[in-house]
Amino acid sequence: MIRFEIGIVDTRNVLKAILDAYGYDFKDYALTSFKRRIELFVANEGLRNIDTLIGRLQQSKEYFERFLQAITPETTEMFRDPSLWRNLRDHILPELTKGTTRPKIWVAGFDSGEELYSLAITLKEINLLNEVQLYSSYISDFTLEKIKGGVTDIKQLEVNEANYSRLEGKGSFADYYKTANGVAYLDNQLIQGVNFVKQTPAFDQGPGGVKMVLFRNQSIYFNQLLTDRSINAMYNALVPGGYLILGIKESLENTNSNNKFTVVNESDQIYKKKTL
Amino acid sequence: MYKAVIIGGSAGSFQVITRILHSLPPTFPLPVLLSLHRLKHVRSGFVEALSIKSGIPVLEPADKDQIKPGRAYLAPANYHMFIELGNKIALSTEEPVNHSRPSIDLSFVTAAQVYRDKLVGIILSGANRDGAYGLKKVKDLGGLTIVQDPLECQVKTMTEASMKLTKVDHVYSTNEIIKFLQSIK
Repeated sequence: MIRFEIGIVDTRNVLKAILDAYGYDFKDYALTSFKRRIELFVANEGLRNIDTLIGRLQQSKEYFERFLQAITPETTEMFRDPSLWRNLRDHILPELTKGTTRPKIWVAGFDSGEELYSLAITLKEINLLNEVQLYSSYISDFTLEKIKGGVTDIKQLEVNEANYSRLEGKGSFADYYKTANGVAYLDNQLIQGVNFVKQTPAFDQGPGGVKMVLFRNQSIYFNQLLTDRSINAMYNALVPGGYLILGIKESLENTNSNNKFTVVNESDQIYKKKTL
Repeated sequence: MYKAVIIGGSAGSFQVITRILHSLPPTFPLPVLLSLHRLKHVRSGFVEALSIKSGIPVLEPADKDQIKPGRAYLAPANYHMFIELGNKIALSTEEPVNHSRPSIDLSFVTAAQVYRDKLVGIILSGANRDGAYGLKKVKDLGGLTIVQDPLECQVKTMTEASMKLTKVDHVYSTNEIIKFLQSIK
């Protein structure tokens, strides 16, 4: 448990500093978890107080990029919720590619590659990896570097492996990574064709004409305003009939976009954009 | 006078929770927040099992659900459950704390920050120290702290760790916890 605690005023001072210095506006992130991410970062960096953090953020863009990487929580596991991945593999992805040449799929969350690699492996196993155009959002340059290198936490391999076996993958999870010097590297050949999109919390840089958006466990870190705005950005990016996939505990009922989608699968939180 | 009850438990707490929920009247005036260690890959079943004998509805909330009185909210598998200002549930997939997700500490700390002296925090049987720090925060911010009597716990690591860190207000048997909750009007 982190014993370093900051107050709401400190949190607001950090928000203001990064808005002023870099134009990144995090004021619509959910307060509790955002405050906690700052506390974790300060503790992990061994900083004494919040003013030191603010000073370093203002002085160095590189430090800010590290901060960005740290404050957007990782999904921490591949193939989280195996039943969803089974559903994608067996139903949604094959349907997506029927009658459309190279449909666009957008991995819109700020994770550190877990969703993207899970998707790429799933597509590869049904021979559709080259039949789609993949777009992936990232927030920090360091995250992008990590994703491109396939770098993954060696301690997570066991969890990833367990999830993979629950979805009854075609191969063995070990086919997709190598370990060297205590680091695990996912096979980055899998993501060679991916278009990476640098994204700010304003959600105004996504691709258009998309047939499926993966946006799982992201709006849980947003307040109501940013949740509504981000889901609206997904809505605008999707073609009619396109799929929106949220985390299993994120409900469109708690957004202002509920009437714009139909429910395809409630337990896996798969939605479809209504055709007007 | 109180606004919420939060209960943390791990190994050996299932039967205690079941008895507590069973004893609550449908008119129970507060929300009951349940942060319990559970198997991450078993998504369903737990909330149903707790519902069978419960006097109040037991829900597994989605993110941003409004917290209402007379309902129990069970932290979903593989998520942390926070209490957010505005009396809402907030969920998180960030890394486990004390090897746990949900972490009892995180639920208790965030609930304490929102409800302050209007919170009742209860720690039950459990095999790890998760929850001890959270209960301390409840106490520090003016809330009422209760632990299940370690003599009665199937596994007493969690309650003993809590008592070591905090001068708790009450050490109660399950029956006494029930009597206390039933007295809340």
